[in-house]
Amino acid sequence: MTGISKALTAFGSLLLAHACYSAHEHSALQTLKAATLSLTSTASQTTATTLPADIAIETVIATLVVLLGLVLSTQPLRPIQWRVWAGKIERQGEEGFVDNNGEVIKEYIGNPFQIFENRPGFVDIRKQRMEFAEWVKSSAGAEQ
Amino acid sequence: MPTERDFQLSPIVQESVIHNTRTLNNLQSLTSSLFGVAAGILGLESYNGFLFYLVCSILTTVLFYVVRIAPTGIPAAAAAAASQKSAAGGVGGSGAFDTSRYYRSPYEFWTGGLLNGLAGFILTWTLFFGLVRA
Repeated sequence: MTGISKALTAFGSLLLAHACYSAHEHSALQTLKAATLSLTSTASQTTATTLPADIAIETVIATLVVLLGLVLSTQPLRPIQWRVWAGKIERQGEEGFVDNNGEVIKEYIGNPFQIFENRPGFVDIRKQRMEFAEWVKSSAGAEQ
Repeated sequence: MPTERDFQLSPIVQESVIHNTRTLNNLQSLTSSLFGVAAGILGLESYNGFLFYLVCSILTTVLFYVVRIAPTGIPAAAAAAASQKSAAGGVGGSGAFDTSRYYRSPYEFWTGGLLNGLAGFILTWTLFFGLVRA
């Protein structure tokens, strides 16, 4: 996707630059023609500088091509509702949160409920007390 | 107008809102400059230029919708079923031109960029108009 969008943007920019140069040359030519006309005769200075159709068409096409390239190069959007967003993380994991280059985005935090899923269980205090008692007993037996 | 209670019931992911808004704003400021270049080359004057900007920026938004929002939506049949459910108080689906999954209000999406890129448009419009008609 990113290759296509870059190519489109570059191609469109080239077309646009060409159209811009053509339009500039056209207007320069018009001014020159008007100047030479005014030298030879007292013609009116109103130079009807309507752009030739091919330049106009080229400009519009170039604009559309660059526009398409720019739109294709935008980052994928992310859901704003918490339930949709968390569901997407749950379903797709990292694959749902990549940018145009296929790399996982920096803001990706993984499962938002991780803190609940990783909490430690209850401590079995009776079992620990038994173990401590055993240890005391065995160490006392070793001393005697 | 969503109330405090609505936000408690269905929370919003703030980072996603910022990201989506920034993506759209970036696109609009870039493309508005581009439209300024085009309008300058075409030699548009007064209302024609603003009309050109209006049409092009609506086109941009529609194209952005088609590329980024429409493919991730629920298909029409499922949306119809979901909308029946939402009439009964269930979870709503996404109809045509529904942007509620990514933007808080449709106005923010469809018209938010018009004033945003206008300054850039006029800047490049006048610049290229002057360059071409030198």
